Amino acid sequence: MNTKIEELDGKYIATLEGEMDTAAAVEAEEVLKPLYTNGKDVIIDCTGLEYIASSGLRILLTILKGAKACGSKVVMRGVNDDIKNVFKLTGFISIFEFE
Amino acid sequence: MRLRNIVKTNIGLTVIIVAAILLQGISAFQYYYTRSLLAEELEKRAESEITTKVVIVKNALNMAENSLNGHLWDMKRNIAYPDSMYGVAEWVLRSHPNLRGCAIAFVPDFYPEKGRFFKPYAFRKPGSQNNEDFVVKQVGASGYDYTKTGFYKVAESRNTPFWSYPYYNDVTDSRVVTYCSPIHHTTNDIMAMFCLDIDVEWLGDTLNYRHIYPSSYNFLLTETGQLIAGPKFSSEKKRLEMEHIIQLINDSTGEKSLSNSGRSTIFSMKDADGDEGIVFYAKFKGQPRWQIAVVCYEKEVYGKLRMMRRTIGILNLLGLLVLGLIIARFAKNTRKLQKANMEKERISSELRIATNIQKEMLPKTFPPYPERDDLDIYGMLIPAREVGGDLYDFFLRDEKLFFCIGDVSGKGVPAAMVMAVIHSMFRMASAHENNPARIMQTINETSCEGNESNMFVTLFIGVLDLPTGHLRYCDAGHDAPFIVSKYAANKEADANCHLSIVDSKAHLPVGVFDDVKYGMQETRLQPDSTIFLYTDGLTEAKNEEHKQFGLQRTEKVLTCCAEEQLTPQQILEKISQEVHQFVGKAEPSDDLTLLAIRYTPKQYESTIAETLTIKNDVHEVTRFSSFIKSAIEKIGIEKSLARQLRLAVEEAVVNVIDYAYPIGSEGEITIHVKSDGRTFRFQIIDAGVAFDPTMKEKADTTLSAEDRQIGGLGILLVRELMDSINYEREDGKNILTLIKKLKD
Repeated sequence: MNTKIEELDGKYIATLEGEMDTAAAVEAEEVLKPLYTNGKDVIIDCTGLEYIASSGLRILLTILKGAKACGSKVVMRGVNDDIKNVFKLTGFISIFEFE
Repeated sequence: MRLRNIVKTNIGLTVIIVAAILLQGISAFQYYYTRSLLAEELEKRAESEITTKVVIVKNALNMAENSLNGHLWDMKRNIAYPDSMYGVAEWVLRSHPNLRGCAIAFVPDFYPEKGRFFKPYAFRKPGSQNNEDFVVKQVGASGYDYTKTGFYKVAESRNTPFWSYPYYNDVTDSRVVTYCSPIHHTTNDIMAMFCLDIDVEWLGDTLNYRHIYPSSYNFLLTETGQLIAGPKFSSEKKRLEMEHIIQLINDSTGEKSLSNSGRSTIFSMKDADGDEGIVFYAKFKGQPRWQIAVVCYEKEVYGKLRMMRRTIGILNLLGLLVLGLIIARFAKNTRKLQKANMEKERISSELRIATNIQKEMLPKTFPPYPERDDLDIYGMLIPAREVGGDLYDFFLRDEKLFFCIGDVSGKGVPAAMVMAVIHSMFRMASAHENNPARIMQTINETSCEGNESNMFVTLFIGVLDLPTGHLRYCDAGHDAPFIVSKYAANKEADANCHLSIVDSKAHLPVGVFDDVKYGMQETRLQPDSTIFLYTDGLTEAKNEEHKQFGLQRTEKVLTCCAEEQLTPQQILEKISQEVHQFVGKAEPSDDLTLLAIRYTPKQYESTIAETLTIKNDVHEVTRFSSFIKSAIEKIGIEKSLARQLRLAVEEAVVNVIDYAYPIGSEGEITIHVKSDGRTFRFQIIDAGVAFDPTMKEKADTTLSAEDRQIGGLGILLVRELMDSINYEREDGKNILTLIKKLKD
């Protein structure tokens, strides 16, 4: 999978592409770690994300917790139905913001 | 409506009122009836008094008249000798002791030698004690022209004998009535008036010699209502009363004649003291036309009756009082009884509710799992009383059937309460525990805490692993269940014997000691076997001869059931029917609880079967990912469902990689994927430490981002995405099975 972070208009935009299984999540976390304690709003672009396992969800939750602690927001963008269903099953749908 | 309410609410008062009315009615009837009898009696007595007294008076008068007539001849014989007339008068007087005086008043100038007026008069000396002390003298004189006196004139004009009005005779100093009889010449001319004086005082005494009632009195009146003779009254009051009565008689317009009808006239009056008086009076028959009156007092006539009425009244009152007390006591008792009844009613209605609650608690929908083809269960509980102390329960969790049957010592409400507690303990203890012995342990420890009533429960808990038929159980003093099998239980047994008893090491019942160590036993259930569980209500069901249904009869019936391959429902119905027939009319002695579980696993024929073995390393996930992706592709399901399956199995595998082997140690994990196109089965087998991921607590998905834990998401996803998850430890291996129905 591909993972990258961009900064635009004072916000971070994290783009996730491909399948984020348990193994991929280990690599993705290395890229996304700066977002854990950044203090800025984060947009997580999932337009290209096809699959996410619970280890991926854990990373998203850690980002969210970090942002909330600094008073900034995390917004999910372009989440497909299958992944949205996973959010539903885990109760993440009510703690994340969606565009 | 209001009266009816009063009657309804105060029956005691109503009874007293009715009794009072009845008693009063009876008394009144008695009183008036007796009174009328007494009145009749009074009338009879008064009339007889009147008749008697009239006879007495008339007798006295007749005697006087007769003595006059008897001496008439004497007088006429000696008519030529005027002086002999004194003797005649004296002789008349002598012949009749009750005469006051006797006079012969000759017509004027009858004896010229005696002057114009000659009236020899013999009379008893006034004031003399001697009745024979007579005075005889001539009273006629020029100064006393007796022809001018009333009685002479009347006798002269009537020319017949008659009785005069009473008057005061100053010569004899007494009140008298005079009988005056004209004496005729041969020429029919009157020559003299022969007169007799009768003392009215004597008449009065004669009249009042005897009375019908002590205070009653009689008196005589002239035709015109003038008093002739009456009683001697000591009090002026009485005398005035009599005068008042005389006045009333004179004023009355009623028929006064006794003679024709034979009845006297009655009227009532009030005397000076306010006493009611009754006066009977009547006229004499013939001459003289006097009247007689009898006065009686009501207090004397009805006095005793009134006293009786008062006494009866007091007795009635006392009776009512006693009745009231009895009723009050009775009412109190009735209220108590009513209250007790209401209480009883309330309790029994609460018992009904309790029974319902109890029934609600137990599984009541049969078949409980209609969608499953490997399980058929039927249970029944027939309480001996309103509520029972028996229980049974079962539920499915992660492809394991948890079931139990129990019997609380005792019956009724306390047993039912304990039963309810044990029931909920079973549910709680087995929510996160697959080991029946540990479940039993928890229940025992919990129920021993504060078990003041020392109630205990025999309990059998079983956990049947449905994919394998592995049965784990723990028996706390309960009757070991039967296994009704299609096959002979063991090879030594008779081929026809389809029945075996679960081998159980019976532990102490639950609730006795908190430190009892419960051990687990296990066996493998053959396909098409039925576990038959029961309470001693079955084997100890007694008939009218107090014989027990017993184990032998149970076995016999169950053997029959096995041969006929009956379903759980049929088995239970047959057994309960047999017991019912056996018990007959005897009172059910204990709750009867039966539970039958038929296990019929289906052989799984897969069209796709793939196997992969990986190491307990997270980097192996990549290899696994491609393996599972291709395996799922082969089943040929739509992309979204395929992703769900992949996610679930990946989470399960990662979970095993993370926890199966201790950190640093290496181990193998074998993965089987099977599908027949209808279901998807996924199995992970490892030889690591016993680890049951199904026991992991489910993450709370309702928490906020701050409160959410990072872990626990994997197993949550497995549970959410798969239809069932089953963990089984066999032969030192952990076997985790995930099943998903692809289509119905």
